[in-house]
Amino acid sequence: MNNALIIGQYVPGNSLVHKLDPRTKITLIFFFVFIVFLANNVLSYSILTLFALVSMVISRVPIRFIMKGLTPIWFLIVFTFILHIIVTKEGSVWLEIYSFQIYSGGVFQGIAISLRFFLLILVTSLLTLTTTPIEITDAIEDMLHPLKKVKFPVHELALMMSISLRFIPTLMQETDKISKAQASRGVDFRTGSIKDRAKAVVPLLIPLFVSAFKRAEELAMAMEARGYNGGEGRTKLRELKINARDIAVYLLFIAVIAGLLLTRGY
Amino acid sequence: MKRKRTLFMVEVAIFAAFALLLDIIPFLSFKVWAQGGSISLAMIPIFIIAFRWGLKGGLLAGFLWGVMQLLIEPRIFVPLQAFLDYAVAFTVLGFAGLFRNQVMSATKQGKTANMLTFILLGTFLGAFLRFTAHFIGGIVFFGEYAPEGQPVWLYSLLYNGSYMLPAMILSAVLVFFLFHKQPRTLMNAN
Repeated sequence: MNNALIIGQYVPGNSLVHKLDPRTKITLIFFFVFIVFLANNVLSYSILTLFALVSMVISRVPIRFIMKGLTPIWFLIVFTFILHIIVTKEGSVWLEIYSFQIYSGGVFQGIAISLRFFLLILVTSLLTLTTTPIEITDAIEDMLHPLKKVKFPVHELALMMSISLRFIPTLMQETDKISKAQASRGVDFRTGSIKDRAKAVVPLLIPLFVSAFKRAEELAMAMEARGYNGGEGRTKLRELKINARDIAVYLLFIAVIAGLLLTRGY
Repeated sequence: MKRKRTLFMVEVAIFAAFALLLDIIPFLSFKVWAQGGSISLAMIPIFIIAFRWGLKGGLLAGFLWGVMQLLIEPRIFVPLQAFLDYAVAFTVLGFAGLFRNQVMSATKQGKTANMLTFILLGTFLGAFLRFTAHFIGGIVFFGEYAPEGQPVWLYSLLYNGSYMLPAMILSAVLVFFLFHKQPRTLMNAN
Protein backbone atom coordinates (compact mmCIF):
# COMPACT_ATOMS: atom_id res chain seq x y z
CA MET A 1 0.00 0.00 0.00
CA ASN A 2 2.80 2.41 0.85
CA ASN A 3 4.24 1.98 -2.57
CA ALA A 4 0.92 2.43 -4.27
CA LEU A 5 0.49 5.79 -2.58
CA ILE A 6 3.21 7.39 -4.64
CA ILE A 7 1.41 8.78 -7.63
CA GLY A 8 3.06 8.73 -10.97
CA GLN A 9 6.68 7.92 -11.42
CA TYR A 10 8.44 10.63 -9.42
CA VAL A 11 11.77 9.53 -7.95
CA PRO A 12 13.08 12.00 -5.35
CA GLY A 13 16.62 13.18 -5.97
CA ASN A 14 19.05 16.03 -5.85
CA SER A 15 20.56 16.02 -9.33
CA LEU A 16 20.86 18.86 -11.80
CA VAL A 17 17.81 17.57 -13.65
CA HIS A 18 15.77 17.52 -10.44
CA LYS A 19 16.84 21.04 -9.56
CA LEU A 20 16.10 22.63 -12.91
CA ASP A 21 13.12 24.92 -12.97
CA PRO A 22 10.09 22.87 -14.06
CA ARG A 23 9.33 25.52 -16.68
CA THR A 24 12.73 24.90 -18.24
CA LYS A 25 12.12 21.18 -18.35
CA ILE A 26 8.66 21.53 -19.87
CA THR A 27 9.87 23.96 -22.53
CA LEU A 28 12.75 21.69 -23.45
CA ILE A 29 10.57 18.63 -23.73
CA PHE A 30 7.97 20.50 -25.72
CA PHE A 31 10.61 21.34 -28.30
CA PHE A 32 12.26 17.95 -28.08
CA VAL A 33 9.03 16.29 -29.21
CA PHE A 34 9.24 18.37 -32.39
CA ILE A 35 12.96 18.21 -33.08
CA VAL A 36 13.01 14.42 -32.85
CA PHE A 37 11.45 14.48 -36.29
CA LEU A 38 14.35 16.53 -37.68
CA ALA A 39 16.82 13.69 -37.35
CA ASN A 40 17.18 11.64 -40.51
CA ASN A 41 20.69 10.23 -40.67
CA VAL A 42 23.22 8.48 -38.46
CA LEU A 43 24.90 11.67 -37.27
CA SER A 44 21.75 13.57 -36.37
CA TYR A 45 20.30 10.55 -34.58
CA SER A 46 23.53 10.23 -32.61
CA ILE A 47 23.23 13.82 -31.41
CA LEU A 48 19.69 13.23 -30.22
CA THR A 49 20.59 9.96 -28.53
CA LEU A 50 23.60 11.52 -26.86
CA PHE A 51 21.48 14.37 -25.53
CA ALA A 52 18.86 11.98 -24.14
CA LEU A 53 21.39 9.58 -22.62
CA VAL A 54 23.43 12.36 -21.02
CA SER A 55 20.27 13.82 -19.46
CA MET A 56 19.39 10.37 -18.20
CA VAL A 57 22.80 9.83 -16.65
CA ILE A 58 23.02 13.19 -14.89
CA SER A 59 19.49 12.82 -13.54
CA ARG A 60 20.86 9.89 -11.49
CA VAL A 61 17.50 8.17 -11.63
CA PRO A 62 18.18 4.46 -11.06
CA ILE A 63 18.01 2.64 -14.37
CA ARG A 64 15.35 0.21 -13.14
CA PHE A 65 12.85 3.07 -12.71
CA ILE A 66 13.48 4.17 -16.24
CA MET A 67 13.12 0.63 -17.50
CA LYS A 68 9.87 0.27 -15.59
CA GLY A 69 8.47 3.27 -17.44
CA LEU A 70 9.56 1.78 -20.73
CA THR A 71 8.13 -1.71 -20.16
CA PRO A 72 4.83 -1.16 -21.94
CA ILE A 73 6.69 0.31 -24.90
CA TRP A 74 9.16 -2.49 -25.61
CA PHE A 75 6.57 -4.48 -27.44
CA LEU A 76 5.75 -1.52 -29.69
CA ILE A 77 9.41 -0.85 -30.36
CA VAL A 78 10.13 -4.43 -31.34
CA PHE A 79 6.91 -4.71 -33.31
CA THR A 80 7.56 -1.59 -35.44
CA PHE A 81 11.14 -2.73 -35.99
CA ILE A 82 10.07 -6.13 -37.32
CA LEU A 83 7.29 -4.61 -39.39
CA HIS A 84 9.72 -2.29 -41.12
CA ILE A 85 12.14 -5.09 -41.84
CA ILE A 86 9.43 -7.19 -43.42
CA VAL A 87 7.65 -4.52 -45.42
CA THR A 88 10.31 -2.07 -46.55
CA LYS A 89 12.04 -3.25 -49.70
CA GLU A 90 14.68 -0.65 -50.42
CA GLY A 91 18.44 -0.76 -50.70
CA SER A 92 20.38 -3.93 -51.22
CA VAL A 93 19.49 -7.42 -50.07
CA TRP A 94 21.37 -8.26 -46.90
CA LEU A 95 20.03 -11.62 -45.98
CA GLU A 96 18.03 -14.20 -47.79
CA ILE A 97 16.15 -16.94 -46.01
CA TYR A 98 14.40 -19.13 -48.55
CA SER A 99 12.32 -16.70 -50.58
CA PHE A 100 12.27 -14.05 -47.89
CA GLN A 101 14.70 -11.15 -48.18
CA ILE A 102 15.85 -8.58 -45.69
CA TYR A 103 16.83 -5.28 -47.26
CA SER A 104 19.31 -2.78 -45.88
CA GLY A 105 16.71 -0.01 -46.19
CA GLY A 106 14.31 -1.97 -44.01
CA VAL A 107 16.89 -2.49 -41.30
CA PHE A 108 17.91 1.19 -41.28
CA GLN A 109 14.36 2.41 -41.22
CA GLY A 110 13.41 -0.08 -38.51
CA ILE A 111 16.25 1.09 -36.32
CA ALA A 112 15.53 4.78 -36.95
CA ILE A 113 11.83 4.53 -36.16
CA SER A 114 12.33 2.41 -33.04
CA LEU A 115 15.03 4.75 -31.83
CA ARG A 116 12.80 7.79 -32.30
CA PHE A 117 10.16 6.02 -30.31
CA PHE A 118 12.53 5.12 -27.55
CA LEU A 119 13.96 8.64 -27.28
CA LEU A 120 10.54 10.26 -27.05
CA ILE A 121 9.45 7.97 -24.26
CA LEU A 122 12.78 8.26 -22.47
CA VAL A 123 12.79 12.04 -22.44
CA THR A 124 9.14 12.48 -21.52
CA SER A 125 9.41 9.98 -18.69
CA LEU A 126 12.54 11.76 -17.51
CA LEU A 127 10.32 14.79 -16.90
CA THR A 128 7.83 12.86 -14.81
CA LEU A 129 10.60 10.93 -13.05
CA THR A 130 12.32 14.09 -11.84
CA THR A 131 9.42 16.51 -11.38
CA THR A 132 6.44 16.18 -9.08
CA PRO A 133 3.01 16.69 -10.65
CA ILE A 134 2.51 19.70 -8.38
CA GLU A 135 5.69 21.33 -9.71
CA ILE A 136 4.50 20.71 -13.25
CA THR A 137 1.13 22.27 -12.43
CA ASP A 138 2.79 25.36 -10.95
CA ALA A 139 4.98 25.65 -14.00
CA ILE A 140 2.08 25.33 -16.42
CA GLU A 141 0.08 27.91 -14.47
CA ASP A 142 2.98 30.29 -14.75
CA MET A 143 3.60 29.61 -18.43
CA LEU A 144 -0.08 30.10 -19.29
CA HIS A 145 -0.21 33.36 -17.34
CA PRO A 146 -0.51 35.55 -20.47
CA LEU A 147 -3.78 33.77 -21.32
CA LYS A 148 -5.38 35.55 -18.37
CA LYS A 149 -5.58 38.62 -20.60
CA VAL A 150 -8.11 36.84 -22.78
CA LYS A 151 -10.15 35.81 -19.72
CA PHE A 152 -8.89 32.23 -19.77
CA PRO A 153 -9.25 30.93 -16.18
CA VAL A 154 -5.61 29.89 -15.72
CA HIS A 155 -5.60 30.27 -11.98
CA GLU A 156 -8.82 28.34 -11.46
CA LEU A 157 -7.62 25.48 -13.66
CA ALA A 158 -4.31 25.27 -11.84
CA LEU A 159 -6.03 25.30 -8.49
CA MET A 160 -8.37 22.51 -9.57
CA MET A 161 -5.41 20.57 -10.85
CA SER A 162 -3.62 20.91 -7.50
CA ILE A 163 -6.75 19.84 -5.62
CA SER A 164 -7.07 16.81 -7.89
CA LEU A 165 -3.49 15.76 -7.38
CA ARG A 166 -3.75 16.35 -3.66
CA PHE A 167 -6.81 14.15 -3.40
CA ILE A 168 -5.58 11.14 -5.32
CA PRO A 169 -3.74 9.60 -2.34
CA THR A 170 -6.63 10.44 -0.01
CA LEU A 171 -9.15 8.79 -2.28
CA MET A 172 -6.81 5.88 -2.76
CA GLN A 173 -6.66 5.20 0.97
CA GLU A 174 -10.40 5.46 1.09
CA THR A 175 -10.80 2.97 -1.76
CA ASP A 176 -8.43 0.63 -0.03
CA LYS A 177 -10.37 0.86 3.22
CA ILE A 178 -13.77 0.35 1.63
CA SER A 179 -12.64 -2.48 -0.62
CA LYS A 180 -11.14 -4.29 2.37
CA ALA A 181 -14.30 -3.75 4.36
CA GLN A 182 -16.43 -5.12 1.52
CA ALA A 183 -14.01 -7.98 0.90
CA SER A 184 -14.25 -8.97 4.53
CA ARG A 185 -17.98 -9.29 3.99
CA GLY A 186 -17.37 -11.62 1.08
CA VAL A 187 -17.34 -9.37 -1.99
CA ASP A 188 -14.90 -10.68 -4.58
CA PHE A 189 -13.44 -7.99 -6.88
CA ARG A 190 -10.64 -9.96 -8.39
CA THR A 191 -12.12 -13.03 -10.01
CA GLY A 192 -15.12 -13.93 -12.10
CA SER A 193 -16.51 -12.73 -15.41
CA ILE A 194 -16.77 -9.07 -16.31
CA LYS A 195 -20.43 -9.16 -15.35
CA ASP A 196 -19.73 -10.59 -11.89
CA ARG A 197 -16.98 -8.12 -11.26
CA ALA A 198 -19.10 -5.19 -12.41
CA LYS A 199 -21.75 -6.26 -9.93
CA ALA A 200 -19.18 -6.60 -7.17
CA VAL A 201 -18.00 -3.05 -7.83
CA VAL A 202 -21.32 -1.38 -7.00
CA PRO A 203 -20.97 -1.75 -3.20
CA LEU A 204 -17.54 -0.17 -3.55
CA LEU A 205 -18.57 2.67 -5.85
CA ILE A 206 -21.56 3.89 -3.87
CA PRO A 207 -19.71 4.63 -0.60
CA LEU A 208 -16.85 6.11 -2.60
CA PHE A 209 -19.13 8.52 -4.43
CA VAL A 210 -20.93 9.50 -1.26
CA SER A 211 -17.67 10.25 0.50
CA ALA A 212 -16.23 12.12 -2.51
CA PHE A 213 -19.26 14.42 -2.48
CA LYS A 214 -18.89 14.91 1.23
CA ARG A 215 -15.21 15.76 0.94
CA ALA A 216 -15.91 18.24 -1.86
CA GLU A 217 -18.55 19.96 0.19
CA GLU A 218 -16.30 20.18 3.25
CA LEU A 219 -13.36 21.51 1.29
CA ALA A 220 -15.47 24.13 -0.46
CA MET A 221 -16.83 25.26 2.88
CA ALA A 222 -13.37 25.37 4.43
CA MET A 223 -12.02 27.41 1.51
CA GLU A 224 -14.79 29.94 1.82
CA ALA A 225 -14.42 30.15 5.58
CA ARG A 226 -10.82 31.17 4.95
CA GLY A 227 -11.91 33.82 2.51
CA TYR A 228 -11.16 32.21 -0.82
CA ASN A 229 -12.67 34.22 -3.62
CA GLY A 230 -10.93 33.66 -6.89
CA GLY A 231 -7.40 34.26 -8.10
CA GLU A 232 -6.95 38.02 -7.61
CA GLY A 233 -4.16 38.92 -5.23
CA ARG A 234 -3.30 35.42 -4.06
CA THR A 235 0.32 34.76 -3.20
CA LYS A 236 2.26 31.52 -3.48
CA LEU A 237 4.06 29.33 -1.02
CA ARG A 238 6.54 28.07 -3.63
CA GLU A 239 7.94 30.67 -6.01
CA LEU A 240 9.55 29.53 -9.24
CA LYS A 241 12.89 31.03 -10.17
CA ILE A 242 15.01 30.82 -13.32
CA ASN A 243 18.73 30.92 -12.56
CA ALA A 244 22.09 30.43 -14.24
CA ARG A 245 21.62 26.66 -14.33
CA ASP A 246 18.51 27.00 -16.43
CA ILE A 247 20.11 29.45 -18.82
CA ALA A 248 23.07 27.13 -19.31
CA VAL A 249 20.72 24.25 -20.12
CA TYR A 250 18.79 26.41 -22.60
CA LEU A 251 22.04 27.31 -24.36
CA LEU A 252 23.04 23.65 -24.51
CA PHE A 253 19.68 22.77 -25.98
CA ILE A 254 19.98 25.47 -28.63
CA ALA A 255 23.36 23.99 -29.49
CA VAL A 256 21.70 20.57 -29.90
CA ILE A 257 19.12 22.04 -32.27
CA ALA A 258 21.85 23.79 -34.25
CA GLY A 259 23.81 20.54 -34.41
CA LEU A 260 20.75 18.72 -35.72
CA LEU A 261 20.10 21.32 -38.41
CA LEU A 262 23.72 21.13 -39.52
CA THR A 263 24.03 17.36 -39.62
CA ARG A 264 20.67 16.27 -40.97
CA GLY A 265 20.46 15.35 -44.63
CA TYR A 266 18.21 17.41 -46.85
CA MET B 1 -24.02 32.14 -6.14
CA LYS B 2 -20.38 32.54 -5.11
CA ARG B 3 -20.69 29.58 -2.83
CA LYS B 4 -21.80 27.37 -5.68
CA ARG B 5 -18.80 28.37 -7.74
CA THR B 6 -16.29 27.14 -5.18
CA LEU B 7 -18.23 23.92 -4.69
CA PHE B 8 -18.31 23.45 -8.46
CA MET B 9 -14.53 23.82 -8.75
CA VAL B 10 -13.78 21.53 -5.85
CA GLU B 11 -16.24 18.88 -6.93
CA VAL B 12 -14.97 18.81 -10.50
CA ALA B 13 -11.39 18.55 -9.23
CA ILE B 14 -12.11 15.74 -6.79
CA PHE B 15 -14.07 13.77 -9.36
CA ALA B 16 -11.29 14.12 -11.90
CA ALA B 17 -8.98 12.64 -9.26
CA PHE B 18 -11.54 9.92 -8.73
CA ALA B 19 -11.52 9.08 -12.43
CA LEU B 20 -7.76 8.82 -12.53
CA LEU B 21 -7.83 6.66 -9.44
CA LEU B 22 -10.32 4.20 -10.91
CA ASP B 23 -8.02 3.94 -13.89
CA ILE B 24 -4.88 3.13 -11.93
CA ILE B 25 -6.22 0.74 -9.30
CA PRO B 26 -5.19 -2.61 -10.70
CA PHE B 27 -8.06 -4.80 -9.56
CA LEU B 28 -10.67 -2.44 -10.94
CA SER B 29 -9.67 -2.59 -14.57
CA PHE B 30 -9.02 -5.16 -17.23
CA LYS B 31 -5.85 -4.56 -19.17
CA VAL B 32 -6.34 -5.13 -22.84
CA TRP B 33 -3.20 -3.64 -24.33
CA ALA B 34 0.16 -2.99 -22.79
CA GLN B 35 0.36 0.41 -24.49
CA GLY B 36 -2.47 1.90 -22.49
CA GLY B 37 -6.14 1.40 -23.01
CA SER B 38 -7.93 -0.79 -20.55
CA ILE B 39 -11.53 -1.54 -19.76
CA SER B 40 -11.89 0.56 -16.67
CA LEU B 41 -14.59 2.30 -14.72
CA ALA B 42 -12.77 5.61 -14.91
CA MET B 43 -15.29 7.37 -17.13
CA ILE B 44 -18.04 7.02 -14.51
CA PRO B 45 -17.04 10.00 -12.28
CA ILE B 46 -16.76 12.22 -15.36
CA PHE B 47 -20.25 11.24 -16.51
CA ILE B 48 -21.63 11.82 -13.02
CA ILE B 49 -20.15 15.33 -12.97
CA ALA B 50 -21.49 15.94 -16.47
CA PHE B 51 -25.01 14.94 -15.46
CA ARG B 52 -24.74 16.96 -12.26
CA TRP B 53 -23.21 20.20 -13.47
CA GLY B 54 -23.88 20.10 -17.19
CA LEU B 55 -21.59 20.55 -20.16
CA LYS B 56 -19.08 22.90 -18.55
CA GLY B 57 -18.49 20.69 -15.52
CA GLY B 58 -18.17 17.57 -17.64
CA LEU B 59 -15.70 19.11 -20.07
CA LEU B 60 -13.60 20.53 -17.24
CA ALA B 61 -13.50 17.28 -15.28
CA GLY B 62 -12.56 15.37 -18.41
CA PHE B 63 -9.86 17.85 -19.31
CA LEU B 64 -8.31 17.66 -15.82
CA TRP B 65 -8.31 13.89 -15.96
CA GLY B 66 -6.58 13.98 -19.36
CA VAL B 67 -3.88 16.35 -18.15
CA MET B 68 -3.22 14.21 -15.08
CA GLN B 69 -3.06 11.10 -17.21
CA LEU B 70 -0.42 12.87 -19.29
CA LEU B 71 1.53 13.90 -16.19
CA ILE B 72 1.48 10.41 -14.78
CA GLU B 73 2.28 8.28 -17.77
CA PRO B 74 3.13 10.31 -20.82
CA ARG B 75 2.85 8.48 -24.14
CA ILE B 76 3.97 11.09 -26.62
CA PHE B 77 4.86 9.73 -30.03
CA VAL B 78 3.76 12.51 -32.35
CA PRO B 79 2.68 15.98 -31.14
CA LEU B 80 -0.73 15.75 -32.83
CA GLN B 81 -1.33 12.26 -31.40
CA ALA B 82 -0.50 13.46 -27.88
CA PHE B 83 -2.89 16.39 -28.26
CA LEU B 84 -5.72 14.15 -29.48
CA ASP B 85 -5.13 11.30 -27.04
CA TYR B 86 -4.86 13.44 -23.94
CA ALA B 87 -6.30 16.93 -24.35
CA VAL B 88 -9.17 16.13 -26.70
CA ALA B 89 -10.15 12.54 -25.92
CA PHE B 90 -10.81 12.97 -22.22
CA THR B 91 -12.37 16.41 -22.51
CA VAL B 92 -15.06 15.39 -25.00
CA LEU B 93 -16.43 12.88 -22.49
CA GLY B 94 -18.04 15.94 -20.94
CA PHE B 95 -20.47 16.23 -23.86
CA ALA B 96 -22.58 13.75 -21.90
CA GLY B 97 -23.54 16.87 -19.97
CA LEU B 98 -25.74 17.99 -22.88
CA PHE B 99 -28.38 15.67 -21.46
CA ARG B 100 -28.11 17.04 -17.93
CA ASN B 101 -31.54 18.67 -17.77
CA GLN B 102 -33.34 15.61 -19.10
CA VAL B 103 -31.51 13.28 -16.71
CA MET B 104 -32.12 15.57 -13.77
CA SER B 105 -35.84 16.03 -14.37
CA ALA B 106 -36.34 12.32 -15.02
CA THR B 107 -34.55 11.51 -11.77
CA LYS B 108 -36.57 14.09 -9.88
CA GLN B 109 -39.85 12.70 -11.17
CA GLY B 110 -38.70 9.14 -10.69
CA LYS B 111 -39.26 8.20 -14.35
CA THR B 112 -36.87 5.29 -14.57
CA ALA B 113 -37.34 4.59 -18.27
CA ASN B 114 -36.65 8.20 -19.23
CA MET B 115 -33.67 8.32 -16.92
CA LEU B 116 -32.22 5.20 -18.47
CA THR B 117 -32.70 6.52 -22.01
CA PHE B 118 -31.00 9.86 -21.39
CA ILE B 119 -28.18 8.38 -19.32
CA LEU B 120 -27.51 5.92 -22.13
CA LEU B 121 -27.63 8.68 -24.74
CA GLY B 122 -25.28 10.88 -22.72
CA THR B 123 -22.70 8.21 -21.89
CA PHE B 124 -22.75 6.85 -25.43
CA LEU B 125 -22.27 10.32 -26.90
CA GLY B 126 -19.36 11.09 -24.55
CA ALA B 127 -17.70 7.71 -25.01
CA PHE B 128 -18.20 7.77 -28.77
CA LEU B 129 -16.54 11.17 -29.07
CA ARG B 130 -13.65 9.93 -26.92
CA PHE B 131 -13.34 6.89 -29.13
CA THR B 132 -13.27 9.11 -32.21
CA ALA B 133 -10.43 11.17 -30.76
CA HIS B 134 -8.40 8.06 -29.90
CA PHE B 135 -9.23 6.60 -33.29
CA ILE B 136 -7.86 9.63 -35.16
CA GLY B 137 -4.93 9.78 -32.71
CA GLY B 138 -4.23 6.16 -33.58
CA ILE B 139 -4.27 6.88 -37.31
CA VAL B 140 -1.80 9.73 -36.78
CA PHE B 141 0.41 7.48 -34.68
CA PHE B 142 0.35 4.42 -36.93
CA GLY B 143 0.59 6.67 -39.95
CA GLU B 144 3.89 7.98 -38.65
CA TYR B 145 5.37 4.71 -37.44
CA ALA B 146 3.96 1.88 -39.53
CA PRO B 147 5.48 1.17 -42.93
CA GLU B 148 3.65 2.51 -45.94
CA GLY B 149 0.77 0.59 -47.43
CA GLN B 150 -0.63 -0.65 -44.13
CA PRO B 151 -4.34 -0.21 -43.39
CA VAL B 152 -3.74 2.14 -40.49
CA TRP B 153 -7.39 2.95 -39.87
CA LEU B 154 -8.10 -0.73 -39.30
CA TYR B 155 -5.35 -1.06 -36.67
CA SER B 156 -6.63 2.00 -34.92
CA LEU B 157 -10.25 0.84 -35.07
CA LEU B 158 -9.45 -2.59 -33.63
CA TYR B 159 -7.03 -1.29 -31.02
CA ASN B 160 -9.24 1.47 -29.68
CA GLY B 161 -12.54 -0.29 -30.21
CA SER B 162 -11.42 -3.34 -28.26
CA TYR B 163 -11.38 -1.48 -24.97
CA MET B 164 -13.66 1.50 -25.62
CA LEU B 165 -16.76 -0.51 -26.51
CA PRO B 166 -16.84 -2.70 -23.36
CA ALA B 167 -15.83 0.25 -21.19
CA MET B 168 -18.66 2.31 -22.66
CA ILE B 169 -21.28 -0.34 -21.95
CA LEU B 170 -19.93 -0.99 -18.46
CA SER B 171 -19.92 2.72 -17.57
CA ALA B 172 -23.39 3.34 -18.96
CA VAL B 173 -24.85 0.49 -16.92
CA LEU B 174 -23.08 1.49 -13.74
CA VAL B 175 -23.93 5.20 -14.07
CA PHE B 176 -27.59 4.25 -14.47
CA PHE B 177 -27.31 1.98 -11.45
CA LEU B 178 -25.84 4.74 -9.32
CA PHE B 179 -28.56 7.21 -10.31
CA HIS B 180 -31.18 4.57 -9.69
CA LYS B 181 -29.88 3.57 -6.26
CA GLN B 182 -28.72 6.92 -4.94
CA PRO B 183 -30.78 9.64 -6.63
CA ARG B 184 -30.66 11.89 -3.57
CA THR B 185 -26.88 12.01 -3.24
CA LEU B 186 -26.37 12.70 -6.92
CA MET B 187 -28.95 15.46 -7.08
CA ASN B 188 -27.80 17.43 -4.03
CA ALA B 189 -26.40 20.29 -6.05
CA ASN B 190 -29.81 21.66 -6.89
